[in-house]
Amino acid sequence: MPPFRDEHILIIAPGSQTTLAQLGLPESFTPASHRFPTRMFPAPDGKTYEPYKIRSRKKEVVINGGDVEMGGTVEPKMAEEGDEELIELPEDDEGAIYPLKEGRIDNMPAFWAFLQHVHNTLSPTLHTPIMLIAQPSWTAKNHEDLTAFLFEQFKTPALCIMDSALATSYAFGIANATIIDVGFGKIDVTAVTDFQISGRGTVPHSGGEAMTQRLMKLLKAKNFTRDMAEQLKRSPVCEILPPGTPLPGTDVKEEAAVISNPAAAASTGATSSGPSVRITEVPHVPVLDMEVGEDDDAFDDKQIEDDGVLDVASIVTSGKIQEVLARREKEKAEKEKLKQARKEKRDAEKAEAAAAAARPARLPNSKRPRAIFHYEEIIKDTPDAKRQKTPEPTPAAPAASETAVASEANPADSAAAAAVPESEPAPIEDEAARREQQKAARKEERRKNREEENPERIRRDIEIGIERFQAADEGYLDAVADTIYRTILSVDDISKRQDAWDALVICGSGSKVRGFKEALLTTLNNRYLVSPSSATMFMSELPSNLATPSGTGSQTPNASFTPHAPPTASAVNPLLLAATTASNPALNPNLSVTSYNGTHSHSSHSQSPTSIKVASPPGYFPELKLYEEAVFLGSQVAAKVIFVVDQGLSKGFLSRVEFNEEGPTAIHQVGLVF
Amino acid sequence: MAAQTLNSSMQPTDVYGGDEVSAIVLDPGYSSVRAGFAGEDAPKSFVNSHYGATPDGRLIFGDNAIHNPQANLEIRNPMSKEGIVEDWDTATSLWEYAITSRLTSFKQADPRHNGLNDDNKDLEMEMEAVEEGEKALEEHPLLMTETAWNSVKNRERSIEIAMESWGCPAFWLARNCVMAAFGSGKATALVVDVGASTASVIGIHDGLILKKSVQRSNLGGNWLSSQLRSLFASQDPKVELIPHYMIASKTPVDAGAPAQAIYRKYEKEPSESFRALEEERVLTEFKESVVQVWSGPGRLNSMNATGSNNLDYARSQPGRVFEFPDGANQMWGVERLTVAEGMWDEKAALPVPNEQPGTKMTIPEMVKASISAVDMDLRAHLLQNIVVTGGTTLVNGFTDRLNNELMAMYPGARIKIQAAGLTAERRFGSWIGGSILGSLGTFHQMWISKAEYQEFGASVVEKRCK
Repeated sequence: MPPFRDEHILIIAPGSQTTLAQLGLPESFTPASHRFPTRMFPAPDGKTYEPYKIRSRKKEVVINGGDVEMGGTVEPKMAEEGDEELIELPEDDEGAIYPLKEGRIDNMPAFWAFLQHVHNTLSPTLHTPIMLIAQPSWTAKNHEDLTAFLFEQFKTPALCIMDSALATSYAFGIANATIIDVGFGKIDVTAVTDFQISGRGTVPHSGGEAMTQRLMKLLKAKNFTRDMAEQLKRSPVCEILPPGTPLPGTDVKEEAAVISNPAAAASTGATSSGPSVRITEVPHVPVLDMEVGEDDDAFDDKQIEDDGVLDVASIVTSGKIQEVLARREKEKAEKEKLKQARKEKRDAEKAEAAAAAARPARLPNSKRPRAIFHYEEIIKDTPDAKRQKTPEPTPAAPAASETAVASEANPADSAAAAAVPESEPAPIEDEAARREQQKAARKEERRKNREEENPERIRRDIEIGIERFQAADEGYLDAVADTIYRTILSVDDISKRQDAWDALVICGSGSKVRGFKEALLTTLNNRYLVSPSSATMFMSELPSNLATPSGTGSQTPNASFTPHAPPTASAVNPLLLAATTASNPALNPNLSVTSYNGTHSHSSHSQSPTSIKVASPPGYFPELKLYEEAVFLGSQVAAKVIFVVDQGLSKGFLSRVEFNEEGPTAIHQVGLVF
Repeated sequence: MAAQTLNSSMQPTDVYGGDEVSAIVLDPGYSSVRAGFAGEDAPKSFVNSHYGATPDGRLIFGDNAIHNPQANLEIRNPMSKEGIVEDWDTATSLWEYAITSRLTSFKQADPRHNGLNDDNKDLEMEMEAVEEGEKALEEHPLLMTETAWNSVKNRERSIEIAMESWGCPAFWLARNCVMAAFGSGKATALVVDVGASTASVIGIHDGLILKKSVQRSNLGGNWLSSQLRSLFASQDPKVELIPHYMIASKTPVDAGAPAQAIYRKYEKEPSESFRALEEERVLTEFKESVVQVWSGPGRLNSMNATGSNNLDYARSQPGRVFEFPDGANQMWGVERLTVAEGMWDEKAALPVPNEQPGTKMTIPEMVKASISAVDMDLRAHLLQNIVVTGGTTLVNGFTDRLNNELMAMYPGARIKIQAAGLTAERRFGSWIGGSILGSLGTFHQMWISKAEYQEFGASVVEKRCK
């Protein structure tokens, strides 16, 4: 078999909503070249799947009886025998089938069809090894089925299926980490030790979608559609406040309930959740400010910019980088969304900024009881208009479930997400007339710009109260925190648990919601952090010093102390003795060496976590954006190592020859899945 | 779009055509269910045996779902305190969950005959495919483990479930102690298995249980937990065991000082059984990080060679600190040794109503009884092959103490204790043995096939699986 080359490697990383794919490894690793919405549509024949919505329509025949309402009841075909033609509607997501639900493979044939679509789009050569990134919830059978499919359909010479959490840890280059992947409908928590998966947990019915649903529920009175809630979640006004933070405008009682203990903060560097210790000003990163200054939306963004990093920042200094990154990320997204509109409106913006500066007090977002968010919706042609323009009688789609109709699409797509026309929510009332005017002017201009590009896009301003802080309630954060705690505790090697606590990686699109990471870290710190006890001034450090982690070695010093030797061995304090002889066990007469075979000795004995930290991304990849999708970066690293560097010496992938000999189950023996 | 069907005429000639399927090994226990494919070194699926029942009667399985304090769950366990199945219906669903959540999936059958890609197949075939798809294990032989004291009725029930409900092509029922011995590479051994609900000592000769040697008691992990509760209650001030879910945030306090924590309010207080489950998690952590077995020589409260009391020596040793979920922490000195001493010395057990160990129930006594129940010629052989398995044996110092106790009990005999070094191997000892057995080529002739089951009925298991 000739060696694999960089440009031949195909990487596919499926997610419940978006699938990342790329053919070939570039010189320097980049974000994925292709993004596919992970959805398929039933083909008109009812058996196969198509990547785009297909509707049949009659040529040149106008039918008024056809019904294109959602949930498409399939009506008997009309009597007209006009020629039917099939059209593809790439933007439409009505009746879509999402093969992955909460990461699980829900519909395998559709998923196969989807992989086929990805494969066809990238059209790799025959000598293309495939790296498939697996979701943690895929079963062993799923792996086998996919292996069989990929070998039989794509005739691939080699396949590697790699767990997504593992790929993330590759991207960060951290051997012991806890990967918290906030996905669309679930949060996967995976503990990785020595680049091996050693603990798994899932929070079902969570992730970004649960936040959207909750916002929708809270704002039901305002006639919020799912799409509006989704956009609100992505907007900077939506924020998750760390637990214990009083909601603006509510009673201060809550605040009083929080005990803050300055002594603790002093001794551990940890902060209690008391609002008194909050840092309200964040050191600004100059680059950010410049960008924001240029940003068209600075009117809103600026206010938010001033909003301090909440008290978590003081605990998680390393997390600050991430936080800033996340913020920058958000702004970038925002910028992209408005790129077209920006230039023409700079003047208007400047006036706006001046007006904003003139306002007496600017509170950070988290202190303001109400905030405005800009909602963009796409007005589809009303059914009537549609029928006149493009008559589409019986759509072939089966009844669409509600989730299928609602699309989350990929983040870049957010603006394009389709919405059903809805009745206008309550208009803004308490805005100053001046601002109103300006806004109107701005809106007008914006709309004009937009209409050039997309005549159906409309932007509205909606005022939101404190609901915007409640996308994730306490129960939600508790469940995530508990899962993290449980997952790390399920790591067998007790000495590795602290390492896993010290390198939390919070990734996935759902984690981009403002304040999510901080709130989660605060919850973890509040509930689980073990502080050094006053009972062990220096004792607790000693045993861990003494015991080296070891599985089987008979040379290993036995656990912390051994009373085998007569206690008269020395009158010296055993701790002192242990401390002085820790580096050289032979000196310590109290240390016995176990003689019988394979006896286990606990290597370390301590409770964890004594600290909780967020892993900082390595600095060697200039493209910072990558870390939002660290999975893909990691899969490129792994693909390079497995296919190009290692060439199969360490059985990193399953080759076609092996597959033919051993069948799909051979996938379990290779690669980096488990 | 290109055709995505798997048309048989298009299949490349060099495609894999074998039909090797690996067996599934299922090892249910009181605290967890282990399931995985034979031939692998660890079970892929590890599921808590406790399950939740919602007020409207739905059953919730798996660690990911049962720890939710807001779901108003009643926590139960289908296994009895003796490690055998009590509630068969739930046990079946639980095992099914263990198998389907990580190993196989119910819905998708093989693409070549799941009906979806076959244009030309008639309706009948599709119907058949649908029917087949209902069964969890139609493709995989199942190797299940049981305790040595399982009843005949229970054994027959196992094969019924495997054959009738799951449609297994083949089945085998193995004793978990024998599997643990196999896992350590031995066909003759004395297996000391201390799990959650029971501790047992069983002699095995050539892969068969020596019936007379079966000794068991309740001195397992659960018993240790109640010892801990008793210890906490006897402390001054009393140590409150408050699980994590009740705490919103904790504040560091000095050792021994009362906790300062903010408690979480729930609209509806979670049930008692839920609280017990969550408390157990705290106790598990306590066992992992604090509890230790006095490793000998001698008992904790006996005199040692120099004439002083072991207890005095233990007191001079450094303690360990444990911080409870509410932030209260204190140093555990000699208590962390005394709490496990009851496993070795029934007089040292802390008073717990109805759980006082009898004189013959401690681990050394069980070993003694087991050894003396077997043939004279075998005893030396067994003592040289002592296999220690089960999660509770991971308590620090356990094997040292066992070694010391046996040396004192059988002076002059050659005693060799085999205890896996890796935590996972110790916890999953019997599953690993099953994995080894299930992947052996020679074992394939031993399976009870579906045809045999249909011919002889459920009683075949009693004849075949000794």
